[in-house]
Amino acid sequence: MPMRPFPKLRPTAWDALVVLAVIVLAAGTAFFQWRGGSSGELTAVVSIDGAEVDRFAPADLLEGPRTYHANGYTLTVAMAMDYETPSPGILPPKGEAGICVSSSDCPTQDCVRTGILSRGGQSAVCLPGRFVLRLEGGAAEDGGVDAVLG
Amino acid sequence: MKRLTAYALFLALLLSGCGASADPDTAQESIQVIAMDTAMLITTYGERSVPAAYAAEDCIRDLEAKLSRTIEDSEVSRLNAAGGEPVEIGEDLWELLDLARSYSDYTGGAFDITIAPVVSAWGFTEDSFQVPFPATVKKLLMLVDMTSVSQSPYPLTGEGPLTASLGPGQEIDLGGIAKGYAADKLVEVFKEHACPRALAQLGGNVLAYGGRPDGTPWRVGIQDPARPDDKNAFAGVLELTDAFAVTSGGYQRYFEQDGKTYHHIIDPATGYPADSGLTSVTVVADCETPEGYRTGTMCDAFSTALFVMGEEKALDLWRSWTAPAFELVLVTEDGRVVVTGGLKDRFTPDESSGYAYETVS
Repeated sequence: MPMRPFPKLRPTAWDALVVLAVIVLAAGTAFFQWRGGSSGELTAVVSIDGAEVDRFAPADLLEGPRTYHANGYTLTVAMAMDYETPSPGILPPKGEAGICVSSSDCPTQDCVRTGILSRGGQSAVCLPGRFVLRLEGGAAEDGGVDAVLG
Repeated sequence: MKRLTAYALFLALLLSGCGASADPDTAQESIQVIAMDTAMLITTYGERSVPAAYAAEDCIRDLEAKLSRTIEDSEVSRLNAAGGEPVEIGEDLWELLDLARSYSDYTGGAFDITIAPVVSAWGFTEDSFQVPFPATVKKLLMLVDMTSVSQSPYPLTGEGPLTASLGPGQEIDLGGIAKGYAADKLVEVFKEHACPRALAQLGGNVLAYGGRPDGTPWRVGIQDPARPDDKNAFAGVLELTDAFAVTSGGYQRYFEQDGKTYHHIIDPATGYPADSGLTSVTVVADCETPEGYRTGTMCDAFSTALFVMGEEKALDLWRSWTAPAFELVLVTEDGRVVVTGGLKDRFTPDESSGYAYETVS
């Protein structure tokens, strides 16, 4: 028995619209995922009460420190350089530069004592202020660690 | 045109999928949580990494709401305020009380959750630090007694109310065990969401679930207690797969008064900060055991207790312990790092630290 031929269908404007919508959606999704997958430049992220309130390149602090108000406390984030044991006169730098919580009026001062953050994954936390300063991204380094105990 | 449409759809689907499903193991989500009096960072992997991370946060918040001593309507707060009367509690607190009793027994009282009133007298609960009067310490120490904590037997049917009561004037603080218990619960969350790997940092507790995306173990540094301000200074690095690791040290939380430093790990025998010759204790155990032990809880309780007990008693306990196995890294005041034999191939010393390294068996 001879097969009945398929009817010839003519593409409509709806076909074109569907194709366009799918392509736009797919390209958008791919862009979003590619962008998110990159480790990217070293970036400082500030969050208060679990919500991100600031994100900047550490070098931006060369323009001046940044001040945050967190649950009744005031914290300042600034550039920092580590020095050898203080001595009269010039303090020779040890070479480690980074960012830090330079001052806080919180009672514990743990955030200030945390010291210099210079690598992705490091963070300084103020529990009374529910404030977190965290470094993200940056180049992976040989012998680096994924987490720190203590 | 139909053929063109088909090609376009195929291309579009290919494009949309290439970011995620090509390698689902590398899809990841990181969330930062401030809970249980500490900052936590949880990174989950896999196709369901996002719901897994948020389920982990929900799990932690749920536990905090039940177990916190500073949340007014938590189960622990109600128990502390009950004046010795029985209080109905949930399964999590019931299980934690049961485990806390066991670890108090195993450590000869070096771990004791009824230390709460003494910890408060030092101001560590409310961050209003002070050195209490000796008479106050002596009086409060009389309340430190785990044997006065009672709880209803677990109903054989698995149903029915669970209750607990404290001795008159007693209070409990689960700060030395709750984060470990939370880490145990996170293992269940990650399994439910089919996470191939995850890394959870809960204060001084780390859960290394699975291994790194490249198949190697997670690298976890142990902060050098002599250089707490240097975030890159380690006493050594652990390589962990499917494991818990918990560190306790006096450098983590302390205050200074009249030129003297007082840290937050209080010896239940004296009521004063522990002075055992150790500067940090790290306890490591597998997170998957055939018997289904809560090994995260064990690591948390032991890290505190062994810091109080000191090197000799800590190693005695390690040698006499049968199951589930745990391993230790002890950093001593006299500049040694003592590593137990089971970590021999999983611990890398930091030779630049100046410590003398010893492996014991």
